[in-house]
Amino acid sequence: MTVKKVIAENSRNVSIEIEGRFDFSLHQQFREAYSSCNDSGTQFSLELSKATYMDSSALGMILLLKDHAEKVGGDVLINRPSEGVNKILEIAQFHRLMTIKV
Amino acid sequence: MIDFRQLLFFIGIGLSLFIGVNTLFIQMGVLSVAATFFIGVIFFLLFREEQKQGNKTVDNKANDDAIDVDIVRHSFIQMNMLISKQIEIIENEIERVSNLVRDAVGGISESFKYLQNLSLEQQKMINSIISSKQKTDDNEHTTLESFVNDSSKTLEDFVNVIITTSKKSLETMVYTDEMVKQLDGIFKLLSQVENIASQTNLLALNAAIEAARAGDAGRGFAVVANEVRSLSINSTELNNDIRSEISLAQTIIDNLRKSVEHMASADMTSTLKAKDKVSLMVEHVSNVNNETNLVVEELAALGPQIVDTVATGVRSLQFEDLTFQTLASLKDNLAAISSLSQLLTDFDRNKDNCAEQLSNITLQCEEIIENTKQADESRSVSQMSMEEGEVDLF
Repeated sequence: MTVKKVIAENSRNVSIEIEGRFDFSLHQQFREAYSSCNDSGTQFSLELSKATYMDSSALGMILLLKDHAEKVGGDVLINRPSEGVNKILEIAQFHRLMTIKV
Repeated sequence: MIDFRQLLFFIGIGLSLFIGVNTLFIQMGVLSVAATFFIGVIFFLLFREEQKQGNKTVDNKANDDAIDVDIVRHSFIQMNMLISKQIEIIENEIERVSNLVRDAVGGISESFKYLQNLSLEQQKMINSIISSKQKTDDNEHTTLESFVNDSSKTLEDFVNVIITTSKKSLETMVYTDEMVKQLDGIFKLLSQVENIASQTNLLALNAAIEAARAGDAGRGFAVVANEVRSLSINSTELNNDIRSEISLAQTIIDNLRKSVEHMASADMTSTLKAKDKVSLMVEHVSNVNNETNLVVEELAALGPQIVDTVATGVRSLQFEDLTFQTLASLKDNLAAISSLSQLLTDFDRNKDNCAEQLSNITLQCEEIIENTKQADESRSVSQMSMEEGEVDLF
């Protein structure tokens, strides 16, 4: 249950990786991971290969991240979600909202 | 002069031929064949009798003639009776066949009508099934298909509501965190106010000591110092009140956070299962629909085939008309035989010219044969097949 944040040198590519359960307990860490990245055109990629579970608050957090990315003229990409997590993303029809790389 | 026996022989052949031809036309089988056979036998016996008598009496020709005429007349009466009896039987048989055919055709025709009505009803049902399956958008005709699609849509809406709620809750959480920070700021300010109050208290205490040292001159000042001191104490109490109120607010905010967390965190596992079930149902309904469509199409195709078959059956019922025509022409043949019978009855033994009468009979027989032949030819020209006509349902 951790949030790792890696910012590339050009500061336009921010990678956020979730390990374990992706739920409400992460909301503050998650928001802190992106709220300070305000460079225009920043690409946020969310690594979910190690995420084992996801509830609706995780979906809400991703939507808030997307709002933030759009505010700075950037985009959100979800990378290699695990099978269970991917099913949740499919039900929520997130593939219509953002790119999901399986 | 023609020999009487020869004449009789020719008449016999003529009658046999005539009845034979008629019998052939009648084609009624045993009865007529039997009639022909009997007549043939009678003539054969007659001819033999004549031969015997001819051998016996050659000299007494006039007497022979009288006897011959008697014998002939007797034979003719017998033949007449036989023919009349046969005609009667055949007429009865024809009547019986007519009735049988009429009854059977009536029954079959009723059955066909009923069958056709049933087929039409079945066709209507199939059409109503087809049209009701097409009414998927009509609210009053909710089909399984539309229901499942609605369910799928409802589930999507439900998921959207959950996600939107989570998002809004998280936003609320951000504001709540901001508010907690503000409250912490207020606590810091309250501490400063407390410091000021305690310093004021200390200053007031010092002022009171200095006023006491000044004696009477400082008495008034001592009162003021005391007032300032009590003010600082009031101020500290007020500060504590504010602190406890804000602490209460913090507790409330903690509760709020818990509520918001609860709102934001919905487990999606049950939704996943529901989604799987709905997907399964969509597939199932689609399969059932396809199967039903196939069967209904097959049923719809059967309808016209039944109608065709019924039409063929009805057309085949023309055999009634053809049979009646045939039976009617059989009656003509019987009438011909009747007229022969009449000829035999008319034979008059009192007349001297018996040979002339016999040859007259021969002539008339030939005439009847000719008429019968012509009637048969015209009959064979008329319709013989049931395939040639069209008959509507009656």
